[in-house]
Amino acid sequence: MNLSLVDPFVLAQDCPEVITGRLRSGHSTSIRFSHRGDLLASGRHDGVAVIFDIETNGVARKLRGHTRQVQSLSWSMNDRYLLSAGQDWKCVLWDLKDGSRVRTVRFETAIFIAELHPKNDMVFVAALFEDQPVLVDMSSDVPVKHTLPSAPRRSQIERENATEKQVAQDAKQTSTVTVFTPSGDHIIAGTNKGWLNIINTATREVQYSTRFTNNIIVFVRLTPSGRDMVINSSDRIVRTVHLPDLSDPKLDFDTLQLEVEHKFQDLVNRLSWNHVSFNPSGEYVTASTWMNHHIYVWERGQGSLVKILEGTKEELSVVEWHPFRPFVAAIGVDSGRVWLWSILQPQRWSALAPDFVEVEENVEYNEREDEFDIQPLEEIHKRRLDQEDEEVDVLTIEPVKSTTEYEAGDFRMPVLLDIEASDSEDEVVAVGAGQFRRKSPGTGREWMNDDETVASESTANGTTSVPNGTKRRRAG
Amino acid sequence: MDRRRESPPKRRREDEHDSDGSPPRKRSVSRSPSTDTPQYTIAERPARQYSRAGDSDDEPRHYRKRASSSASDSRRRSASPHSSPPPPKPTTLSYLPVLILHGHSKGVAQVKFSPDGHWIASCSADCTIKIWDAVIGKLEHSLEGHLAGVSAIAWSPDSRLLASGSDDKTIRLWNVSTGQPHPTPFLGHHNYVYSLAFSPKGNMLVSGSYDEALFVWDVRAARVMRSLPAHSDPVGGVDFVRDGTLIVTCANDGLIRVWDTATGQCLRTLVHEDNAPVTSVRFSPNGKYILAWTLDSCVRLWNYIDGKGKCVKTYQGHENNKFSISGAFGTYGAEPPHQYAFIASGSEDGGIVLWDVSSKNVLQRLAGHSAPVLSVDTHPTEQAIVSGGLDKTVRIWRYKE
Repeated sequence: MNLSLVDPFVLAQDCPEVITGRLRSGHSTSIRFSHRGDLLASGRHDGVAVIFDIETNGVARKLRGHTRQVQSLSWSMNDRYLLSAGQDWKCVLWDLKDGSRVRTVRFETAIFIAELHPKNDMVFVAALFEDQPVLVDMSSDVPVKHTLPSAPRRSQIERENATEKQVAQDAKQTSTVTVFTPSGDHIIAGTNKGWLNIINTATREVQYSTRFTNNIIVFVRLTPSGRDMVINSSDRIVRTVHLPDLSDPKLDFDTLQLEVEHKFQDLVNRLSWNHVSFNPSGEYVTASTWMNHHIYVWERGQGSLVKILEGTKEELSVVEWHPFRPFVAAIGVDSGRVWLWSILQPQRWSALAPDFVEVEENVEYNEREDEFDIQPLEEIHKRRLDQEDEEVDVLTIEPVKSTTEYEAGDFRMPVLLDIEASDSEDEVVAVGAGQFRRKSPGTGREWMNDDETVASESTANGTTSVPNGTKRRRAG
Repeated sequence: MDRRRESPPKRRREDEHDSDGSPPRKRSVSRSPSTDTPQYTIAERPARQYSRAGDSDDEPRHYRKRASSSASDSRRRSASPHSSPPPPKPTTLSYLPVLILHGHSKGVAQVKFSPDGHWIASCSADCTIKIWDAVIGKLEHSLEGHLAGVSAIAWSPDSRLLASGSDDKTIRLWNVSTGQPHPTPFLGHHNYVYSLAFSPKGNMLVSGSYDEALFVWDVRAARVMRSLPAHSDPVGGVDFVRDGTLIVTCANDGLIRVWDTATGQCLRTLVHEDNAPVTSVRFSPNGKYILAWTLDSCVRLWNYIDGKGKCVKTYQGHENNKFSISGAFGTYGAEPPHQYAFIASGSEDGGIVLWDVSSKNVLQRLAGHSAPVLSVDTHPTEQAIVSGGLDKTVRIWRYKE
């Protein structure tokens, strides 16, 4: 509701500019924004999945279950369930209402990425290491796994003239990334030989394949509308592709042609890209760079580089854009912190009094003729009260179809008060405009987080070595 | 002078209805007849002894304006797609006293219904907060722990936590089911904590204090997230809008300020010309209007979205010159779209006044308290009102047909 009051020039800014905050909880390895944009899930190196509340920059919930680092996170559409995939070869579906594990699915190999079906919280697709991807149905207690093919669907002519060697090679391909389209009817999979397959979810057959590169496809992400796709591959090129509406029944996959819209690459330094992401409208593409401290932002109209987000002194791995605000979160590889970029909103001084106006330079003030006239108070009041005749509606709530509004039946995560006490390694520091007044509770605790070997010794000592800041606060 | 100021508008409305008794009924068939026979005026009239000569000139003009503002007409006409006529808009309400809850040893500062409607919380100058069952009025918990009188209470949206702000400069969170306080009090204010509000998601708490500042707290961490230098006088009241993006605050300097929760910046300032101290503010249920209580015996409804903000309604008829009185929005009538809104407010003469939002007519005056009524709240779903005042009692009123 604040959109009608905020300066329209500020609202028009859609690209973040400066670092406005940091989140820290252990060493983060993967992040994902919730669909409503008020929570950020962060998977840690020690296997704990932490949910940050973006409004307060604090920890809202901790989910313990994985024993190795968390590889990927996926939210359900109503933000109630979270699917986390870990290096311990397990996928866990968490219910955020009480933090319980609804389902646990074990695999025989490591998992690259696991994504929940947009319409069905009990179905997900996972890309596995050196194995074929699987579509898992968790509705019953025993999960049912369906293997999905990775072999690309070649054109009619190619299939007829296929050699034995080619067929064998195609069969050996594995998929490195699998994502659902927003309708859930199709799965888009990228393989380790550079092919992109579109698989029909119901029939589990490849309906269309195209080869974008000869190198491994590292990551694929779609916009919320499903019409645009960005592909990151190990040949250091970020490709954007415009997709047709895949749910259109009139779409003929045999005649479909997917063309690369833009190829973004750094020709000067030949940087390779760690992670790519879209902004909510699909207009911007961000990518974090390998062995560099920058995040590149390109716009897709001209295909030009519009911004380089900087400010951290470390390499950034995963970069994610907020579902609808100009807000970017990225993980620092060395420290495991989550850095937050956003726009700076200056205070409008004209808001502090009804007759304040912001002007560029001094204005000579000319009084009106009647400015200092004394008018009888009663007349003014009577006149004012006379004008109060319009109908006023204080009850109807306009159904704003924006993703921020919580409707009546929506799931809201409960507010837990005992997070601080459960884990002593959290630290929240604010950087930037100095609006956060919280101090980091004792710098000595940092060494406990960074150095895993020392951590075991310190826990043996108890909390005596911890600086007193925290203890005093808790006793108060 | 106050009384003179408030009498002309009231009298004008009554005169218009009396003198034009027959014409409206003849002319506007579609208009519901009930608005032309308001029973309240008969009760009101004896109180108004004074007259002003100029009024008779104004009546026809006022009546003509009334006829032209037929927005209510069109709404009633368009509201019924089927042939049955819409139910007439009630002109009076009949809330009757149901329970009187004794227990506090000093005046009651605030009473609030819980969001799920099961409990009533009341805080008092006797340093305690009492939680009562909303249906039978049984005292469930008496929360003690504050070192000075408690001025403000706020329920969390899930009705499990109650926050209380006291003159001992602290805010405490209480677990409603166990009656135990949360171990960490919220420390930070330098003077009396005067008003509290939870954000709709329950993760933030905003508090206004006599130290002229506004603190936004992170509930989970019990720490100040943001401290806004909101006013130059003690902050009287605070409220969150229904989606949590805006905070409204008011102070003794007569200003009402609207703040952006995410950035902490002031987005709008509303001032009335007289700069009367504003003691309490509430957002309307749809978040588009702000209701403000001022110490000139007026309650004003402001539209803060359009332009620089303007006052669209002024409600008078109660007395408010010394104390911080607060109230609430309520609904009456049938199911939506035939549901109408009213405003309930306490008064220093011991009564509770209910006004219709659009027409500003007084729908009912509830009598019972023997001392100024400081706080009135309406039930979130049922037709019930709770009130508390300086006579140390909490009274529950229910609507009876």
